[in-house]
Amino acid sequence: MEILDKLVNVALIAATLRTTAPILLVALGGSFTTKAGIFNIGLEGQMLAGAFFAVLGSIWTGSAFAGVACGVAAALVFALVFAVLVVSFRANEVVVGLALNILAGGMTISLMKAIFGTRGSIVGQGIVGLPKVQLPGARAVLGSWAPLISGFTPIVYVAFIAVPLLVLFYNRTRLGLYIRVVGEKPEAAEALGISITRVRYTASLLCGLLAGLAGAHLSLGYITMFTENMSSGRGFMAVAILIFSNGDPLKVLAGCLLFGFADAFSLRLQTFGYPSYLVLTVPYVVALTALFALSYRARPKIIKETLALMQKLLSADRNTEPGGKHPS
Amino acid sequence: MVSNAPGSSTRHNVSTGHNLAGPNLAGMAVALTGITKRFGAFVANDGIDLAVRRGEIHAIIGENGAGKTTLMNILFGLLQPDEGSIRLNDEETDVADPAVAIKAGLGMVHQHFKLVPSLSVADNVFLGMEIRRHGLIDHAAQIARTRELSERFGLRVDPTERVGLLSVGIEQRIEILKVLVRGARTIILDEPTAVLTPQESRELFQTLRSFVAEGMTVIFISHHLEEVMEVSDTVTVLRNGKRVATRPTAELTKDELVRMMVGREVSFDRRPREPQRGEVVLEVEELWARDDRRLPALRDVNFTVRSGEVVGIAGVAGNGQTELAEVLSGLRPASHGVARLKGRNLAAFSPAEIRAAGLAHVPGDRMARGVDRNASIAANMLMGRQHRAPWSRGGVLNWNVIGQNASKLIKDFDIRAQGSSDAVKRLSGGNIQKVVLAREFTNGADFLLIDQPTRGVDIGAQEAIHDEIMRQRAAGRAILLISVQLDELAALADRILVMFNGRIMGEVAGDDADEDRIGMMMAGVAAPEFAAETA
Repeated sequence: MEILDKLVNVALIAATLRTTAPILLVALGGSFTTKAGIFNIGLEGQMLAGAFFAVLGSIWTGSAFAGVACGVAAALVFALVFAVLVVSFRANEVVVGLALNILAGGMTISLMKAIFGTRGSIVGQGIVGLPKVQLPGARAVLGSWAPLISGFTPIVYVAFIAVPLLVLFYNRTRLGLYIRVVGEKPEAAEALGISITRVRYTASLLCGLLAGLAGAHLSLGYITMFTENMSSGRGFMAVAILIFSNGDPLKVLAGCLLFGFADAFSLRLQTFGYPSYLVLTVPYVVALTALFALSYRARPKIIKETLALMQKLLSADRNTEPGGKHPS
Repeated sequence: MVSNAPGSSTRHNVSTGHNLAGPNLAGMAVALTGITKRFGAFVANDGIDLAVRRGEIHAIIGENGAGKTTLMNILFGLLQPDEGSIRLNDEETDVADPAVAIKAGLGMVHQHFKLVPSLSVADNVFLGMEIRRHGLIDHAAQIARTRELSERFGLRVDPTERVGLLSVGIEQRIEILKVLVRGARTIILDEPTAVLTPQESRELFQTLRSFVAEGMTVIFISHHLEEVMEVSDTVTVLRNGKRVATRPTAELTKDELVRMMVGREVSFDRRPREPQRGEVVLEVEELWARDDRRLPALRDVNFTVRSGEVVGIAGVAGNGQTELAEVLSGLRPASHGVARLKGRNLAAFSPAEIRAAGLAHVPGDRMARGVDRNASIAANMLMGRQHRAPWSRGGVLNWNVIGQNASKLIKDFDIRAQGSSDAVKRLSGGNIQKVVLAREFTNGADFLLIDQPTRGVDIGAQEAIHDEIMRQRAAGRAILLISVQLDELAALADRILVMFNGRIMGEVAGDDADEDRIGMMMAGVAAPEFAAETA
């Protein structure tokens, strides 16, 4: 029990919220494209570009918020390129997404080399991190539970507030409704004179906005540094969560919290001296197991049909010898 | 054919069509004059005049391919006519796109619904013209308005339900509500009853009457006689892209309507034949099947086909012929009853096994199921026999043999192509069909299932295809010929079975094919001797 107490406490939950924030933001961004019927595998690249240019911007301007703006702008450029290729030129979305991911990875490395003359990471150099928001009165009201709501960087709050806002967006605004219609039944949208192209561009850019914020949070949030490939698969994990949640904000939140918790938990385990390479696999194992369990439950029909087909094939082999005979 | 339009009174109507100018057109909700629409060499609408009075239910009736849907698409701005003019509410209008038609108070309920499954009924109704308050969609107001309209016109729906969970009949009501919400005063329905149960059809007719009671106008496309007689005030009959007649429904009998629809002078150029009576190859007993919507498509179908015999299936398209062909070729399960090919129950076999057991299938949709349009003629002629010698040995294809075989078939079947390596998509419709026939007829199968062999095929190729079918008959094959073209059946079939609404309404010997009787049965009117059976 003592060990459990040490493992699970307020600090762990606060850490969960912190680690959830970037993946939640990028997944919510992807929710726009998912709902609009675009399979956006380029989230990883947008996030990475956001992280890099946020650092760059904060060094140039000396302001964390200007850095965030730079990061968002970079991610928007990536999102725009994605939209131009996928929506206007109808290129394959997986190919374009992967290409942009590789571009982001390579571009950040070579720019790092060109500007800072280093490889690996940018530390110090005058990077300004985001301030932490201390909610006044939080300690007075919640006592030792205060870290649950206070002391995060602004982007963490943005991430969690975005969830109910997106629920409202999809259910009560015209754009949200049109995004859903375009994704679900494009011919209905077309028949009603809704421009599919315009809606998909808008969804792509909204996605870039949130992915850029997520990237900026990575590099200016709790650690103020940029390292090569620092998004480390979060964009892909977001894609996985999107597939299983179908882009519904609440389900996205649930999936991201699970992943964030596993991430925070693994960090905690590291302090107990377990081998770090094993511990680092924990979030991925947890997330994959959960997603598999979900998909297994959500798709019994496919499994049932497969079983039925196999049964039919087996019994057909036995019962219908004459019909199986091929004249030659 | 049309020059032999029935009755002098209808001729009178046709001839006055072009003179409908001036005062006659006043009070018309819709007036089309001299509408002509061509698709390539095919004339879908040929100088059609149509005047629809405000406040009437005007039925447009005709067989598939008569040009009904084309005409309505022109009226609604989905197609542009090559010739002719359109007046909406007494004003000459250029209906460049549907937005113009909607603005003029027209609304169209298509055959295929375009609803969003995850949205509620009310959301779907108001999609594209949402009611908003403070920038947010006002769901309560949309629900209230939908409910009000649905009660006023007897369109029973629950505005809050998700569309994905609803039946086709209710989906249609939602499509009608969509049209109403957009302020339509003239409502066009394209074959609305095709997807409905009889009960739902009756409710729809009630709704249509309530529209008219409020001074609205209804244009109603159909090929079902009974419902046209029941619900319409005026009928316009189209045939082969031309208007045959426009008459008040009360003055018409079903009999007259059938004759106008089917046409009197079908060219019965009957092929000479030797009588043959072989053994039974195909036996169908009490066969039932459902369509893709899970509604019954075949109802208690019974017949046999003997070797050396051509059995024709007549009927207006969509009365179960497609499903029958699919069941016989193993593409659709029967829900009840059996089909036996040479004594073996087909239900236990896959399509490949049925073919191996002696079926050749010329599918009705040749581009979807007959050929791979991007592959070469040789590859298309190989399909289905690629596992067998001499076409392949040890899993390796022998392209020499395949190519030689294809070249031979190209010559035998007179396929006009550069060579066997030509892609099928470069051929004309008739030649593509000959590729299918060449493959299927040389398979050594005893039973030929031939579905619409000459659809979209030019006259020369039609003759050749008919010759080939007769050769197969002479060779002792058992042939089931499904066609919507009466003259084709009358020319080739030994016996003609007429399908309506999934049932065989009756049988006519090919030798005395009486188009009146067939036409009546095609329209669902049981011939007296079959009345008991269909009751």
